[in-house]
Amino acid sequence: MAMAYQAKPPEGWVNTNLKYYKHGGSWAWILHRITGLGLTAYIYVHIYALTTLTQGEKAFDEEMRLFTTPVFKILEWLLFSLVLFHAFNGVRIVLVDWADGARYHKKILTVVYGLGIVLFIGMGLLMFMSPLKNMIASIK
Amino acid sequence: MYKHSGSRGSGAPSWVLQRITGLLLVVVVIGHYFVMHADPASGHTYAAVLERMHHPFWKMFDLTFITVGLWHGLNGTWGIFRDYEMKPVVSLTIYGVIILSGIAFWVLGVNTILSF
Repeated sequence: MAMAYQAKPPEGWVNTNLKYYKHGGSWAWILHRITGLGLTAYIYVHIYALTTLTQGEKAFDEEMRLFTTPVFKILEWLLFSLVLFHAFNGVRIVLVDWADGARYHKKILTVVYGLGIVLFIGMGLLMFMSPLKNMIASIK
Repeated sequence: MYKHSGSRGSGAPSWVLQRITGLLLVVVVIGHYFVMHADPASGHTYAAVLERMHHPFWKMFDLTFITVGLWHGLNGTWGIFRDYEMKPVVSLTIYGVIILSGIAFWVLGVNTILSF
């Protein structure tokens, strides 16, 4: 920050960044930023959507009927993957900063992805098993 | 005057707070997902939400959640922008949008929580 103002590189900031050699940790760094921006955008949407609570039961339940349709439930499930990655990689960052994690950060990255995938599938089962069961039952 | 806004401090206090709020949110957001989204009834019906909203504990919980969550998200967003050297007018505009929209949405959320 103390450096003089630098001119934009001829190929642009984004291409300059993309040009860097990437290993697992650099992808985690990129993903952490993208998921963080996504989750921050989502918290705005979330706060706005829940203001219907102040408009009474009818308005809220009507809105929630939309949010419990299959398309929204799948989006909600996919959003959980951002939460899981950002949360576990965040713990990895704290370990790197405060617990000598630079020595074992690649191992933690495996745990980040592994635990994330397990909990993502687990959440999918919780969210979709009973609707799936109901659907199969209604077909029979 | 400072050439680049956002460069006047080391950023150390917000760096520490980003980690502390982050560790808190790891537990709370994943828990929130299991409570609200795994069981659609508890998070998506007016009756269930109102029952929680009348509890002082959940009110305090939600107020803390919204404050910590917004701060962590916006401090992180500003942290990303801070990595790039920007003309002062650009960085001031971005900083202003972050602060003002953050305050506006915090008030919106707090208003919802305190309506009950």
